[in-house]
Amino acid sequence: MAGFFRRTQLSDRQEAAVQKTLQHLRAQRRSRFRLLACIDGSDEAFVTVRFAARFACTNDCDVIVLFVRPIDQGLHSGGLQVKLARQNMIDAGFELPGVSHLKQALAILKEEGIDAAHWPKETEYQDAWGDPAGDTKVEYRSPEGRSVVLKLKTAPDVANGILDQYELGPYNLMILGEPSRWRGEVASFFDSGVVQTVATMAPCSVLVARQSLDRRGFFICTDGTSRSMQAVRRAAVLAFMTKEPITLFSVATTPQGRPAAEEAVANAKALLKAMKIPVAETKTAVGRPAEEIVERGSLYRVVVVTDEGRSRLQRLLRGSTATEVVRLARTSVLDVR
Amino acid sequence: MESSPLCHADMAGGKGSGMIAAETHFSLSRDSLQARQPAAGLDRFRRRGYLRYRHLRSYVDLAYLWRKRWFFITMMVGFALMALPTPSGLTHQGQIVLSMSVMATMLFISEAVPLPTVPLLIIVGEVILLKVDPTKVAQSLMTDSVLFIMGSLMLAVAIVKQRLDKRIAWWIVRMTGTNVYWISFGITTVCGALAAFIGEHTVAAMMLPVGVTLITLTSNDPRKVHNLAAVILFSISYGSSIAGVATPSGGARNAIIISYWKDFFYDPADPATRRYLMDYVSWIVYAFPMFLIRLPLVAALLIFTFRPEVSDMSRAISRLRTQVSMQGPMRGSEILTILIFLATIGSWVAFSSTVGLGVVAISGTIAFLVFGLVRWEDINSGVNWGVVLLYAAAISLGVEMKETGAAEWVASSVLAALNSIGAGSDIGFNAVISLLTIGVSNTMTAGAAVAVLAPIVLKTAVAAHEDPLSAGFVMAISSAFGYLTPAAQPAFAIIYASGYLRGADFFRIGWRMMIISIIVLLLTAALYWPLLRS
Repeated sequence: MAGFFRRTQLSDRQEAAVQKTLQHLRAQRRSRFRLLACIDGSDEAFVTVRFAARFACTNDCDVIVLFVRPIDQGLHSGGLQVKLARQNMIDAGFELPGVSHLKQALAILKEEGIDAAHWPKETEYQDAWGDPAGDTKVEYRSPEGRSVVLKLKTAPDVANGILDQYELGPYNLMILGEPSRWRGEVASFFDSGVVQTVATMAPCSVLVARQSLDRRGFFICTDGTSRSMQAVRRAAVLAFMTKEPITLFSVATTPQGRPAAEEAVANAKALLKAMKIPVAETKTAVGRPAEEIVERGSLYRVVVVTDEGRSRLQRLLRGSTATEVVRLARTSVLDVR
Repeated sequence: MESSPLCHADMAGGKGSGMIAAETHFSLSRDSLQARQPAAGLDRFRRRGYLRYRHLRSYVDLAYLWRKRWFFITMMVGFALMALPTPSGLTHQGQIVLSMSVMATMLFISEAVPLPTVPLLIIVGEVILLKVDPTKVAQSLMTDSVLFIMGSLMLAVAIVKQRLDKRIAWWIVRMTGTNVYWISFGITTVCGALAAFIGEHTVAAMMLPVGVTLITLTSNDPRKVHNLAAVILFSISYGSSIAGVATPSGGARNAIIISYWKDFFYDPADPATRRYLMDYVSWIVYAFPMFLIRLPLVAALLIFTFRPEVSDMSRAISRLRTQVSMQGPMRGSEILTILIFLATIGSWVAFSSTVGLGVVAISGTIAFLVFGLVRWEDINSGVNWGVVLLYAAAISLGVEMKETGAAEWVASSVLAALNSIGAGSDIGFNAVISLLTIGVSNTMTAGAAVAVLAPIVLKTAVAAHEDPLSAGFVMAISSAFGYLTPAAQPAFAIIYASGYLRGADFFRIGWRMMIISIIVLLLTAALYWPLLRS
């Protein structure tokens, strides 16, 4: 019985070895900046790959491009499994629907300066959900240690496929395309689109990418809380490394609150100055936070928000300011967690 | 970690610059956005505020209730119908069977649960709600029709596995030349001729790779030849689909209606009812013209709807020629496949009235297995056994509908309604059956639609003094008119899986095809079938 409560059945020496290996693996993962770009085959969605390429500007960055293919449903094909036809296609040397999109993503990475096609590559295949196509992963690894991974994943539905992928290797940033539908906070318990589900459930920061690459600058919003300052710091590093000018912004809900907002912006600026990161401009406004952020941020490449900014009850009923900005913005939004 | 030269932050371009690149010492992985490890143990409770809410939220899956809403609604509706007072003229057992049919139809349409769950529910319902003896229920599940559906699916896998597609394509283009219009017509004809005997899904699955070969050999960019792709792929699927009703072995729905005719109307003591024992050749005489008439119409419609970007495919054909030559001469296994295939068709024609369609299909499968042309593992994974179960239970429910008198009760009610809208006449009656079947089969699998509707339609035909054979044919043929969505037909689902077509393409041509097909069917029923009866 006592053995049941023991954490491990291994001897101390073996356990120490296991812990050491785990520590080593975790340290290795922590030393990489991993970006997950999700594509669905539409032309608009490839903007996620471009964003990933621009953010992955140092050798400690890895880019993972993911295409999730729903499982073939057998019953509509009258009792003959669709996978039989699929297998026939594969045997005849044809690509699965996602493969051509992933190849296109590779070409886009090349345009953006990451020419991974010439790096040594490794292919890994895994049978998934009884589907002959299964999960396929092609990893290109550069001599400097960077890697570009193309992953074709099979899953019962797309949102779960993307979230499952997180479990396989924690990512620093997930990049998703523009949402086609977005439901309210309460309704989303029952039914929500792919981007909303992933953006809600994702344990890491999420960038909802729109066609904003023609604009410049990070529009970083803060409300002065310590969590928000952390987010400013982390987003500012990313902006600095990708050579984007930084604009700091804070909203006061009432005119009386403006000094507090100005203080929040000044604090953030001081924080970045201490880190030797330049700030291009600072702005404050009075009004409804989500509306102001959407309005003023639309001229920048990326708006940065955090999961704060409303009372608990309001967040439960209406979602946070961050979710509202993600939904309404006309530019890309980075939700830092 | 060191930054690459690409990114050594030179802020000269940015506003507010003044930084010196060499001073940067940031590492994205350390200083920028963090990848959080999924927490273990008590960590998850230590998070605070909004994050805790977010975390708890990820455990609450109310979306499950929403996704399965139709299942719960169906259960509520079904049990409410069972609890209602029994209408006059209907037994209580009949009321339960009808409620079960309504529930099955709702589940077929909404697909709230995986479809094979529905037959399992029907089996449980027959034993628990209808109090039918379990052994009797088990016996009612397996009929010659079900045996045929099972056998033909196994045969389908065996044939698809032989990879004869390139040779068939080469035979087609040898006859048609390199013009895309003629190739499209050739593919439609040959796919139709094959699908008439072995089922549309078999032909679609077999010919899909060669269809895609022709497209990719013409252009590597699928977007440049979208219309060509539509013409070629729809030639395969429409050819298969219009031929699926031409012979009894073309599809499950045909076998189901044949079994209902026998169960409902055949009386060994009455020689006049022998016509309800439909044999292979009689079916062909009734239904094959539907295929022949629509064949040229489909070819014209395809070209008219999607005007292909190129009209000469000689480039693709010459590469196909190379590929076929590289396969070498026909191998023994390929010749054997063709022989078994022909022998199976011959046996269907000659012996199906004595030994049944199912036994012939199973014999064909046995031949493939004995000669080692297919592995059992391939058959096992290629057949969706849930479909066999689905048809078995649907037929069993149909038989219960007849036994409890429910079918007759609904039929008399339907007939009264038909007479009140003036659809009691010959053409009006056929048109109503046809439209009803199309409506239902656009929302669910054709075989299941026929299995659920046929008992009512056949009994209504008797009450309306119409010929049950004619009503059955109208129904079986109309069930193949679901042309609007990729999920409506097996052949559509298969070609859609290739990824070359959009959902809207199916609608673009589907509605035209549907109207033409209804007109052809009503004309055939009014002008041709009465000649056969006399």
